[in-house]
Amino acid sequence: MDLDGVKHELESEFIAIILAGFGNDLRPLTSDYGDEACPKALLPLANRPLLEYVLSWLEQSGIKDVLLICPETHRSTLHHHINSEVSSSLRVDLQSLPEPQDAGVGTCTLLRHFSDRVKKDFVLLPCDFIPPPSFSLQMLLDRFRTDIVSDGAAVITCWYPGPNSEHNQPLDEWGPSPYSSILCDALEETLLYIDASEDPEFNGEDFFFRTAMLTKHPRTKLLGGYQDSHIYVCQRAILDTLCAKPRCLSFREEFLPWLCKMNYQSNKKQKYGYVLQPSLNAPQNLALEHSTHHAGAHMLPSPAYATRPQRQPNYSATQIPSNRSANEKSLSLRIGIVLLSAGAFRVNSISSLFEVNRRILLNVAYTLPLDPKDRSLIDSKAQISVDSIVGSSTQVSERAMIKKSTIGRHCKIGKQARITNCILFDHCIVEEGARLDSCILGKNSKIGAMSEITRCITQAGYEVTSRESIKGEKLEVSDWMAPSNFPELE
Amino acid sequence: MPPRPTAGKDSLITDEDEILQAVILADSFNKRFRPLTIRKPRCLLPVCNAPLLDWTFESLALAGVQEVFVVCRSHAEQIKMAIEGSKWSKPGSGMKIVPIVTAKETFSPGDAMRDIYTRGLVTTDFILVMGDLVSNIRIDEVVRLHKERRKTNKDAIMTIVVKESGAIHRTRPIGDSAVFALDSKTSECLHYQPVIAYPPTRFVQIPRERLESHPEIDIRYDLIDCGIDVCSVEVPSLFQDNFDYLDIRRDFVHGVLTSDLLMKNVYCHIATEGYAARVKDTKSYESVSKDILSRWTFPLVPDDNYPGGQRYEHVRGNRYLAKDNTVVLARTCKIGTNTLIGSSTRISEDVQIHASVIGQNCIIGAGTIIKNCYIFDHTTIGANCILEKSIIGSNVNLKDNSSVPRGCLIADSVIVGPGAKLEPFDRLSTRRDEVEAELPDEEVDSDVEEVEARQSHINKNLGHDSNALVWPHGPLSEEDGEGPENEKNLRFMRIGDDCSDIDISDPDTVSSESESKSSGSESEDDTGYDTTASSDVLPPVKRDANESEFRSEAKQSLVRAFSEGHSIENASVELKTLRMAFDVPLSLAREAVISAVVGWIPIVQGGGAPQRQEIARVIDRWGNMINEIGGVDPVETVTLLQTMCASSDRMPLFGQILAALYQSDIVEEDDIRAWHALPASKGEGHRAEENLKKCWMIGSHMLQQFDAQESEESESEGNEDDSE
Repeated sequence: MDLDGVKHELESEFIAIILAGFGNDLRPLTSDYGDEACPKALLPLANRPLLEYVLSWLEQSGIKDVLLICPETHRSTLHHHINSEVSSSLRVDLQSLPEPQDAGVGTCTLLRHFSDRVKKDFVLLPCDFIPPPSFSLQMLLDRFRTDIVSDGAAVITCWYPGPNSEHNQPLDEWGPSPYSSILCDALEETLLYIDASEDPEFNGEDFFFRTAMLTKHPRTKLLGGYQDSHIYVCQRAILDTLCAKPRCLSFREEFLPWLCKMNYQSNKKQKYGYVLQPSLNAPQNLALEHSTHHAGAHMLPSPAYATRPQRQPNYSATQIPSNRSANEKSLSLRIGIVLLSAGAFRVNSISSLFEVNRRILLNVAYTLPLDPKDRSLIDSKAQISVDSIVGSSTQVSERAMIKKSTIGRHCKIGKQARITNCILFDHCIVEEGARLDSCILGKNSKIGAMSEITRCITQAGYEVTSRESIKGEKLEVSDWMAPSNFPELE
Repeated sequence: MPPRPTAGKDSLITDEDEILQAVILADSFNKRFRPLTIRKPRCLLPVCNAPLLDWTFESLALAGVQEVFVVCRSHAEQIKMAIEGSKWSKPGSGMKIVPIVTAKETFSPGDAMRDIYTRGLVTTDFILVMGDLVSNIRIDEVVRLHKERRKTNKDAIMTIVVKESGAIHRTRPIGDSAVFALDSKTSECLHYQPVIAYPPTRFVQIPRERLESHPEIDIRYDLIDCGIDVCSVEVPSLFQDNFDYLDIRRDFVHGVLTSDLLMKNVYCHIATEGYAARVKDTKSYESVSKDILSRWTFPLVPDDNYPGGQRYEHVRGNRYLAKDNTVVLARTCKIGTNTLIGSSTRISEDVQIHASVIGQNCIIGAGTIIKNCYIFDHTTIGANCILEKSIIGSNVNLKDNSSVPRGCLIADSVIVGPGAKLEPFDRLSTRRDEVEAELPDEEVDSDVEEVEARQSHINKNLGHDSNALVWPHGPLSEEDGEGPENEKNLRFMRIGDDCSDIDISDPDTVSSESESKSSGSESEDDTGYDTTASSDVLPPVKRDANESEFRSEAKQSLVRAFSEGHSIENASVELKTLRMAFDVPLSLAREAVISAVVGWIPIVQGGGAPQRQEIARVIDRWGNMINEIGGVDPVETVTLLQTMCASSDRMPLFGQILAALYQSDIVEEDDIRAWHALPASKGEGHRAEENLKKCWMIGSHMLQQFDAQESEESESEGNEDDSE
């Protein structure tokens, strides 16, 4: 009994909250297939659903509890997926917000709504983050563990460089990836400012930085071209703060920039500082409080100035009100930042889906399937290049050519079809002589014989008739009247 | 004509081995050391008993400079004499020093640079320093890097030497500092913003576009500007071309970095080793003196590479005594740490001296306490005086039982006491003597006269033999300097002043006494991020004056163009120039053009076809001007036209003008639709709401017409689309 109790306590230091959104930037791939939803979390990347990448990443870091929040309409699909296909030690708690909502649902709304389900520090992450192989969540968690006890950081964020000049992106017509300019203290690794880039009118031509902030952080870096991974390791108290700010909608767009200011604006800090008590479950806290080396509350006079007293100008040191400071910890409430080198991605747009897929294909070596049944489906005269992936139970007919592409399961590739730089989801049918270049086909798409399509994205179940030629379009199913559109399955 | 480089000058500089030249701007161009500097230039004030200028020479000699031009203005004769008498003028010193006396009208470093240009002093890359530098940095290394950079980038015209410190550092006065934005990799300076303490610089503004070409920018607020610039020969000529550059930093560097015409680059060299600081004001005078005494400037310390003639002995605890054994110390006196005592000085019984500098031939009376003071040569301090954090000039006679509290400045030859009780930050000088008063002289300038005139208001206990003139607190006469030279800001640069009574706290960042305000901002806080941020970003820029002036200038210029029938190109060039001169946004220029064009349309009584013709005539001739002023924004054009018409007697013409603009393709159908969809175009809440609304209605009619046309377009192409 005792042993079990100890074990339980150790494993439950963090809970992961995965926000699985609609994936509007990935339309039409995420548009509904008939009555069936196509959640972003289940889009296949190299024939594995995105969600599985995230879940296995979480599993590696030792996290056991996962709260998966999805839109109501996606719930059944995701529920089905989690209960049938995911085999892991994670306890996944699938929740969705009841649909009729008063105006404005944002990430903060979700977090507030489910805040009673979260009893400990949490990791907030999106369903579409593909980490570079060298980066484990453990690194972020460790950073959080040290920072929270050293000076009371509130949140650890993680940013990665956008795919900028590395190579010219041919596909940015599918929408540019959102860049942000950020200001961070390079020595202290603290995030100080996030540029609200989506509002050019408001931002004007210049950045405005407070001199007070620069006095506190005199050595900062302004970085362009970084993207937010949307992974946040947060104190539990962040949720209370969110509840104290009921009008905040988006965690990333509103709450985080606001929290940045907390670090150097002491009136904010005093106002909300009581909510952001240091987490009590950091195991070393008690020991550190007794330590003489720990620069805790004993030596330093007030929460506002305690963290960096040596940099505080003396003209204001006398003016600190000290009513509440006596029993408060010296919290910096700063936002820690971890900057990754290249290799991380969020699959949140068509172009990043292409890009991540391209990168995965660089490292694969296609071999014929070992399973004799699958093998028999692939014609000996079909040409499949080494840098391709072909799912199981997929039929490739004679003299079909597949290059640099990912083909899903249960697809049918007709004779002499040519597929280059494409991603085909499951159950696609490409008929004889069709040519596909740089396309993504949603599941159950059908490409008619001899048609030629280039740089197209199809919604699930879309059919291209024979001998059509389409370039650079997003093909959406307009009419769902005819149920005969469903292709026959084998 | 200004003298060009002469043959004589050329012979000094041989081409094969380029010698290293330096220019010292010896004048301070400000009055921060008043009244110490009324009869003596700042650069000859002693720092640790050696003239400041000699410290600068020593710093340059350490860097291997071979030829120095000293540009002096006030008290030029004294500086010349000092140079002649200094050890650098002796043969074999290895450094050639040429004093250059500029005109009295040289009021700024910029003027001095223009003088350097017209005299053609420099012929190659040179070091530009102020005459207040104490440094042991290897500047020659910076020069080498600068030259290397020039080989690949001809536009790298300047390298600024900066030194790392913290945001709060004693040699980094908060009254006059700056934020540098540097490229992380190349140290190219991308932006320079001066920061002053009062009125507080609340925001640092960095142009967004810098990030496009430089993905990683260091924003540094912890750099000490050493005032050492390695310049290329173009620099003086740039000053010549831009006659409005005054200060080297806030005008020249800022100007070069923000100009899109000059296309020049400035780099920073962040010195990680060595010491460099400027004696810019009395506060930095104190901190530099302390740095020297605590040996941060090694080898520039009193017992080593000391620029003054005297030798000193370094004793434990950073005490320095003149080495010639002429210092007389009474048996019971106490000499604290970090203290320097000049030769032939006599210290009497029971004197206590802490962290101070005492000049040569001084006499300190018994029982006197001196803390953190800087006393120049030949000064006599009586018995039982108390001196604290002050600077006392030479030949001062401070009689018994006087007290000099923190922050006092006492100029040369003042007699005070006995029993004088000064107040903190008092400034004393002597009256002008007869000779000086006679001279129509600028050396002892009008300030003293002013002070003399004001003496009657000042009652001070200065002792019965005093000859002192008390300088009033606060600014003299009407002028309160611009930029950093305002009275309150100068207090941040004053010795002994902690400025605790000046509120420079940022109400949004430091709560303290602004608690009341924060309760006012309660609501702001709760409405979420957007409003918070909008209160954050209010650039403290005052443009009103500029804008109204621009409006009237632009109007005149356009009316002239219309009446004299200039070409559109010429008129728009003129307008662009105006816009640049007044630095106003593009929309203002557009507004000016539209209002001028609309105003130019004569009103024909009865309207109808003749009116329409008039409109068409004017729009045909001048309409394109709207898009020639540097940017095309037809939606804004319509909006401006609407506001213009709504507030003038040309209201009835709105529809016709809009139609004419449409006819001549200045605005398109889509633009009118976009304007029509704007919430502001209905004019709700505007004071001319009714008229704006009417215009909006006219727009609606027009759009209906467009819609109707579209449907019948297939049948009849040539439909008139006149709005009325």
